[in-house]
Amino acid sequence: MLFWILVATLTAAVAAVLILPLLRAAAPASSPHSHDIEVYRDQLEELTRDQESGLINGDDAELARAEVARRLLAAGEIDRAAEPAAPTRRSVNVLAQAFVLLCLPAIGLCLYLFTGSPGVPAQPLAARLADPGSDINILIARAENHLAQNPDDGAGWEVLAPIYMRNGRVEEAVAAYDSAVRLLGPTPARLGGYAEALITLSGGLVTTEAQAALRRSLAIDPNDPRSEYYLALGLKQEGKKDEALAAFNRLIAGSPADAPWVPLVKQHVAELSGGAAGSVAAAAPGNPSADDIAAAQDMSAGDRQEMIRGMVESLASRLKEDPANLEGWARLIRSHVVLDQKDQAAAALKESQKTFPADGDEGKQLLALARELGIKTDGETQ
Amino acid sequence: MIIELGHYALVLALATAFVQAALPIMGARLNDRALMELASSAALACFLLVAFSFAVLTFAYVTSDFSVRNVWENSHSLKPLIYKISGVWGNHEGSMLLWLLILVFFSALVATFGRNLPETLKANVLAVQAWIAVAFTLFILLTSNPFARLIPAPGEGKDLNPILQDIGLAIHPPLLYLGYVGFSVCFSFAIAALIEGRIDAAWARWVRPWTLAAWTFLTAGISMGSYWAYYELGWGGWWFWDPVENASFMPWLAGTALLHSALVMEKREALKIWTVLLAIMTFSLSLLGTFLVRSGVLTSVHAFATDPTRGVFILAILVFFIGGAFSLFAFRASRLKSGGIFAPISREGALVFNNLILTTATATVLTGTLYPLVLEALTGDKISVGPPFFNMTFGLLMLPLLFAVPFGPLLAWKRGDLAGVSQRLFAAVAVGLFFGCIYYYVMNGGPILALFGIALGVYVIVGALTDLALRSGLGKVAGNVAWRRFSGLPRSAFGTALAHIGLGVTLIGIVAVTAFETETVVEMKPGMTVDAGGYTLRFDGMRNGSGPNYSEESGHFTIMSGGVVVTDIWSSKRLYQARRMPTTEAGIRTFGLSQLYVSLGDQISEGGIVVRIWWKPMILCIWGGTLFMMAGGFVSLSDRRLRVGAPTRAKRPKTIPVGAAE
Repeated sequence: MLFWILVATLTAAVAAVLILPLLRAAAPASSPHSHDIEVYRDQLEELTRDQESGLINGDDAELARAEVARRLLAAGEIDRAAEPAAPTRRSVNVLAQAFVLLCLPAIGLCLYLFTGSPGVPAQPLAARLADPGSDINILIARAENHLAQNPDDGAGWEVLAPIYMRNGRVEEAVAAYDSAVRLLGPTPARLGGYAEALITLSGGLVTTEAQAALRRSLAIDPNDPRSEYYLALGLKQEGKKDEALAAFNRLIAGSPADAPWVPLVKQHVAELSGGAAGSVAAAAPGNPSADDIAAAQDMSAGDRQEMIRGMVESLASRLKEDPANLEGWARLIRSHVVLDQKDQAAAALKESQKTFPADGDEGKQLLALARELGIKTDGETQ
Repeated sequence: MIIELGHYALVLALATAFVQAALPIMGARLNDRALMELASSAALACFLLVAFSFAVLTFAYVTSDFSVRNVWENSHSLKPLIYKISGVWGNHEGSMLLWLLILVFFSALVATFGRNLPETLKANVLAVQAWIAVAFTLFILLTSNPFARLIPAPGEGKDLNPILQDIGLAIHPPLLYLGYVGFSVCFSFAIAALIEGRIDAAWARWVRPWTLAAWTFLTAGISMGSYWAYYELGWGGWWFWDPVENASFMPWLAGTALLHSALVMEKREALKIWTVLLAIMTFSLSLLGTFLVRSGVLTSVHAFATDPTRGVFILAILVFFIGGAFSLFAFRASRLKSGGIFAPISREGALVFNNLILTTATATVLTGTLYPLVLEALTGDKISVGPPFFNMTFGLLMLPLLFAVPFGPLLAWKRGDLAGVSQRLFAAVAVGLFFGCIYYYVMNGGPILALFGIALGVYVIVGALTDLALRSGLGKVAGNVAWRRFSGLPRSAFGTALAHIGLGVTLIGIVAVTAFETETVVEMKPGMTVDAGGYTLRFDGMRNGSGPNYSEESGHFTIMSGGVVVTDIWSSKRLYQARRMPTTEAGIRTFGLSQLYVSLGDQISEGGIVVRIWWKPMILCIWGGTLFMMAGGFVSLSDRRLRVGAPTRAKRPKTIPVGAAE
């Protein structure tokens, strides 16, 4: 509220400053040539000085004097001929006042509401540090400062890595998991987290690097369901149907019957063995669906789904601020598909086309990606 | 809240500028005094609003408010305070805001100090200034808003590009922009005059202080930038003919031409069309410079194509202002009457000669700068037009100009006596050659061209002094009379002399460095010694250290002369943490006007490091000369006559005493 009062005061003050000259009973403008005449007079004096100091010869000085005098004469003549300045016309003046009064709030408010973020307070760092509250970024920054000075604090990296994931800073999460593995030694949890970060980074694709980490994890604990699951998914993505099927079956065999991920795995199995194509197949071939991630979430502790949603949302808001990020858009579209939010994926595609028009190179890339993921693009059906 | 208030002030400044762009020009048409006076109030209000907005952004930087996107992208909480402040204009958005601030600052100056201007001219000038302000404020708000917020706010910033974390950056852009944007006033004067359809000798007089001020600041800005590049980039060069440098150099050349042609216009009312054209061209080149540096075209045409919003916006501004100005010019030029006459050999003639060469030089630099861009856009080939092109063309063009510089002030107005002036300058030529030979002898040979280069520089300096000496009658009249005449000379005479002396000094520096600098690149291990410029450097070893936001490795060198330790040098390489970016901090020691420059390269073997050592003879002359030029600018600016034109109401003439003058 105070903000809007200040905005109103500022606008009113500027309007007053602008209108004041209009309100004053203005004298008619002084003759425009009186200023010229002053300059020419000075030039005549200067000529005399120049002549004295030998900067111009006598004859030439006379000629120059005549030149200046001609200018002086002309200026004076126009001056006399000039009609006396018209007194300010009342109608013009009122119109001008109205223009000022309309212009300031109209342009000011419209444009500000379009570009500004009213209500967002200033957030000086010192104040935030003094009272971090639930400001996760400050907590992260503190941890980062600590780690910058003690880069060998593996426990620190381990704590920070999932926080990075939750805040959508996937690249940093990869690095943090990497450090945790390096400093504290490999465990299925760390390696699984590392692999998951890599998979998220590549938009759901189980890359070779991720696969290597998963294998390392399985070497430690052959029954780690998360590692098994992602490896199987990788096989499926590579098109090795039989091997993937075998791996998924092994996972079911090794899991308790009431494990939360079993239905999803069974769906994969059904799909791979040529059964009725479920929603998984329709979602996007070769990409994990929402269920995949939900399963992964049950396999490891923690609120993963929420985490991914938060990640996607933060990515979306970042792109809104800075839409010139081709990679970001691609990741956002992929993520929506992964979360089975096809409408939102289509919306994201549309949004991205504002920055990368469909007929540009980048726009074409995004369109191709969307088609590949089975999103409806304008003017065609999937 | 304060951040949003700053943002709103900027938007309000746009609205104010909009009013200032529309009403005063109507007032000038209708001869309505109230509407014209509105221009001054609006200009001041606009300046205060933008200044507040700029202060708010600075506050956000100082308090590390990372909820402001621009602060997050370019600042770091551990940065020293001065770089937090200079970081405000160390990035695109902030620098555009600075550009705008200086633009409205100049408008406010015109509003405050323009009392000697006719009311209609002043109103029109301020209106044109406001058009430019509207365009740039819109550009800032719509494509490069420094007040965009980032929620939730990150905990730490990404830091400013390390090579910009330097005191040079704190000073260079504001000076440069004062120059660039200062020429907007000349532009506005030209457009205002074209709109009124009235351009005369008095106009030239009124434009002169603004041209002078802009030129002086631009000189300072370019010089500062050159010195900054010299010590910060670690390549030992002081001018690279880099497009960014050229972008600032072109308005300087055109502005220098404008400064000189306006003199002819003031005296003879001749060269009107040309002067107006130059005023438009100079600011157009300033805009082009802003465009080149700020649109991304320079980094690569391809980068421009991927994110063209800003570039296209600036391009539209360019087309509107340059295209509009030239159209108006074409429309009005035929109405301008030509003025007084002068012989080819005269002070006016010399100034025309100066203009011919300076504009040709501008065109040359423009070609060399834009040609690679055009070629890349058309064919995709990347070429670079390097120093050889510029040195050949530009250097050759400057030779006759430099030779002619001392002639100008000595020639009489209207009709000069070339033979007489040559005679008077004979002494200067002789002194020049004498010093050239001495230097040549001291340096034990070297390229024979260097002798003439030094001689030319000394000749320009002595020539400028000759003018002062002759005008005060030194040697012809008694000493005290000469002194009285000397101190009675108009300030502009001193300004001219100082600026020309500066030119000579800079020339001497350039020639000496180009001809006699030595460069040594060696791998050094502790204890090794290298000779450079008559000194011996001993490498003592490396030391690790750290600053607030960087870590550094410094090498220590002891400098000896004839076996005696004279001084020492620290030269370092820094690594800035936030961006993982290395910079070099060259070690520089000054001996008189010369410098020893040590820059560290890569570490090759254990304890051994590549070291580049330059001996730069008389290099300080290059920048010292520009100090003279600036002094000349300021002295000229203080000339009383520049303020002539304000009629006191009582003096308002009833009759005009011209008959006596005929």
